[in-house]
Amino acid sequence: MTTAVKPVKAPNTPPLTIPRPHNVLIVGVGGQGVIMISKVLATLCQEQGFEVKQSEVHGMAKRGGAVFSHVRFGEIVHSPTIPEGEADVLLALEWAEGMRWMPYLRQQSGTFIADTQRIVPPFACRNRTRGARTGYVGETIQTVMEQVENSFALDAMGIAKQLGVVKAANTVLLGALSTALDFPTEAWKSVISKFVPPQTTKVNLLAFDAGREWALGFDRESELRNIKDTRSLHQESTVEAGADYSRVEITEEWCKGCDICVKFCPERCLIMNEKLIVEMAEPELCTGCRMCEWLCPDFAITVHTPNHVPL
Amino acid sequence: MLDQAKTPFEIRDYIRQQLFPHFMCPGCGHGIALRALLWAIHDLGIAKDDLAIVSGIGCSGRIGAYIDANTFHTTHGRPLAFATGLKLARPDLHVIVITGDGDCLAIGGNHLIHACRRNLDITCLMLNNEIYGMTGGQVSPTTSSDRYTTTTPEGNYEPVFDACKLAQGAGAGFVGREMTLQTPSLKKLIQQGIAHPGFSFLEVISDCTEIYGRKNDLGESAEMVLSQKADFRSASYGMIADEVFQPRNVKTGVLYKDDRPEYAQAYRQKIASRAKK
Repeated sequence: MTTAVKPVKAPNTPPLTIPRPHNVLIVGVGGQGVIMISKVLATLCQEQGFEVKQSEVHGMAKRGGAVFSHVRFGEIVHSPTIPEGEADVLLALEWAEGMRWMPYLRQQSGTFIADTQRIVPPFACRNRTRGARTGYVGETIQTVMEQVENSFALDAMGIAKQLGVVKAANTVLLGALSTALDFPTEAWKSVISKFVPPQTTKVNLLAFDAGREWALGFDRESELRNIKDTRSLHQESTVEAGADYSRVEITEEWCKGCDICVKFCPERCLIMNEKLIVEMAEPELCTGCRMCEWLCPDFAITVHTPNHVPL
Repeated sequence: MLDQAKTPFEIRDYIRQQLFPHFMCPGCGHGIALRALLWAIHDLGIAKDDLAIVSGIGCSGRIGAYIDANTFHTTHGRPLAFATGLKLARPDLHVIVITGDGDCLAIGGNHLIHACRRNLDITCLMLNNEIYGMTGGQVSPTTSSDRYTTTTPEGNYEPVFDACKLAQGAGAGFVGREMTLQTPSLKKLIQQGIAHPGFSFLEVISDCTEIYGRKNDLGESAEMVLSQKADFRSASYGMIADEVFQPRNVKTGVLYKDDRPEYAQAYRQKIASRAKK
């Protein structure tokens, strides 16, 4: 095996020997591995001889809810929670969660590490029309990178996918996190090996290395330039997707007026007219779910959706 | 083998449009079953020329006439017998039998058990609407207890036939059940049934609104399928679902699967070995 890589210290990391505890805030969505990351970090800090306090909230995690974990370590730690504006590192496994916790990041010196993965929460999908805009956070990678000096936005999921295991995305982020804290790489790896399932140790260590390499090779200036180039393209495509809607085509001469489509339409946008033939009353409500098409025994309804997605 | 299709499913490519609107009553579940069948055929990527639809007599038997493929409208209760001959003569065809509960279980009951026993590669789609609809609403082997029909004016007191258990006991290679309300699941079940090498018996829970539903005050098609939904539970629930929520304790989904040797293939091997001697 290779010899231990000399740990690289991020330029603005405060020295660990000061009495003030060092704060790491890890946020994400249920199932991403927030708790696993905080366990690894807390164990590592303990092994390095620090006092550690960790607290987490994972209430609705199994339903895709938000999860956060505070890890504080230092000579003496009194409170287990990080006060607002005092997190030295904010590690976000999901983009919107990272934005939500941004006020907790220490101004100027704080390091922000985020996965660019987007998990759109249900409350951001109020407009259920296909192709409609969601209420997802508007902040782009560019705006964050311009505002926060020490910010790293990486596609951890993509890196993990290349290694063959999507679940290792959190270990990729651990690798990126390791560059912001002054601990030896071997210590990180030995703790990770303790926490991951034995059959996945190898791939998780590879993922750790990949994340670490990515963070070490990160060049802020060139990254910003790249984002500006791709941004204009991306905006055009979203405008196109929002412009098309699904359309319900009704063959009137085949409809026998059995009413099943009207009763089963989840958006209540179909009605029976005075001739007892189905009619589209509120086309803007239609989400293109195809319930009416599937349940029409007379094949009188055809739903045309802009992007056909077969089941 | 599943999901070969690259193009979106357009039902009008698979039906004889000049015969539409079809003869079935408003809200009849057979139309939904027909859609699921054609959708499954499309998704499997089966060409219309490689398809043979054999149907019996009754409302279900009329479905075959609306499919733009090789269709064969046979005598009452005997579609499986005709299909057996067809499959043995032309093993390259995908033979699908569409039959009803009365057609399959009462009049053709003997043909069903022997088709199951032989395990010939046929897909048998039994559309169960609990009644003889076309002949005037007589009681069928699957009519639920205490239901009124023209031949049970005091309510049905015969026990109900469980067709899936019968098929499994008789030796069918693939047994499944689904209701029409769950159209995508029904499509997937039919896909699995057609793909299975061996006899696939699929019970489709349909609804007869005009003759059965009206006489028994079960409401229109929407109410009837919703009451089915309350009665049936996916087999994948297993023992988790409480008895209270399974008033009829009827399971849906893939109920049984067995890779027994297929009859037409075994038959041909036997003939070939005979010829060598």
